[in-house]
Amino acid sequence: MKRLLMSLAMGMFLSSGGHAAGFEARAATPAPALKARDLSGAPKTLADYRGKVVLLNFWASWCPPCLREMPSMERLRVKMAGRPLEIVALASAESAEDTKPFLSKMKLGFPILLDPDGSNTKRWKVFALPTTFVLDARGRVRHVLTGPTEWDEGEALKIIEAMLAEQAVAPK
Amino acid sequence: MRFFKLLLLSLWAVALGARAELPDYQVFPAKGTQLLLWVASERGRAEPEMQAARKLAARGVEVWSLDPLGAFFLPQLSRGMDAVPQQDLADWLRAALASGKRVTVYAVARAAVPVLRAAALLDQAQRKRLGVVLMYPNLYTVAEPLATPDYLDVGALTGLRVRVLQPRRSAATPWLPGLVAHLKSRGARVDYAILENLREGYWARETPTEFEVAEGQRMDGLLLRELKILGRK
Repeated sequence: MKRLLMSLAMGMFLSSGGHAAGFEARAATPAPALKARDLSGAPKTLADYRGKVVLLNFWASWCPPCLREMPSMERLRVKMAGRPLEIVALASAESAEDTKPFLSKMKLGFPILLDPDGSNTKRWKVFALPTTFVLDARGRVRHVLTGPTEWDEGEALKIIEAMLAEQAVAPK
Repeated sequence: MRFFKLLLLSLWAVALGARAELPDYQVFPAKGTQLLLWVASERGRAEPEMQAARKLAARGVEVWSLDPLGAFFLPQLSRGMDAVPQQDLADWLRAALASGKRVTVYAVARAAVPVLRAAALLDQAQRKRLGVVLMYPNLYTVAEPLATPDYLDVGALTGLRVRVLQPRRSAATPWLPGLVAHLKSRGARVDYAILENLREGYWARETPTEFEVAEGQRMDGLLLRELKILGRK
């Protein structure tokens, strides 16, 4: 029974995106289009965040690892207040109604976008949740992480800081 | 049959050495006309699945339950499924068809890979007699962010009747049309059902919802419905 329980636990962990394989650096790949609406129904695209480093997180309200990393994204937002970083969480293939129970319990200061038909999820080729893309100020994908992390510490924080530093010295 | 020898050997090894309470191959006999070959996922078996197999047998559907990774001493990872000997599994399917019962294979997650590869090894007449139910099948070779997904070539599936069951709450749901198209391109007759308000492996989640628990207990009903649908295809 021990073997079964261990394999079950491991399987759940892996299949639910419970593992983080580590950040994968990308060679400034042009980002796919982002066409979504926020919770108020306002349309949003990457152009709305141009000039900032963007942390674009694909999540779902039914995904425990996604929910576990959300508080660290909120702490990161607070830590980075006033700096050119935008955290955006896109609910993959979910409606506003689906996200409501979670968002009513956890107050988040960063924008939540909706992708009810999953079209953004498909355009960005997201196969596991959470998946997070770190974009530079020119809207290019620079890092990808499949699985959760603590965003306000360790490697994640180093990457964000490095991207912000790069942005600070980049020619305007 | 090399496969059955291996199964017996693995059963013996597991019973003696591995202290597992569940052997890798189990038969739930029944006198009805239907036979369900239940192929466990890389996660192995969970108790609700065993209960469903018992209930199905009580309702006249015989179940042969196989944990392929355990049976072949393979690592309990998705990729372990890709190494399950196809010919042995094809022999198993042929033995089931020879029983004279109506045979349906039910494969969970990556177990779809060895099952479909084995079905491709059957001759077309045998394959037409077989029905397959795939619970959130994982056939990816490549599934990386920003990369176009690629699926394993499992071989020719001409005439194979396939039902895909996809829990709605899954990162794979938006990709279901591509998977179905891939199976159709191999000749299978495929349709699918979305299982609303459920996640992958809902019968064995660490923190299940009440609905998931209830549906886990009703898995026998779900499979009986699927057997009927496949019977009409």
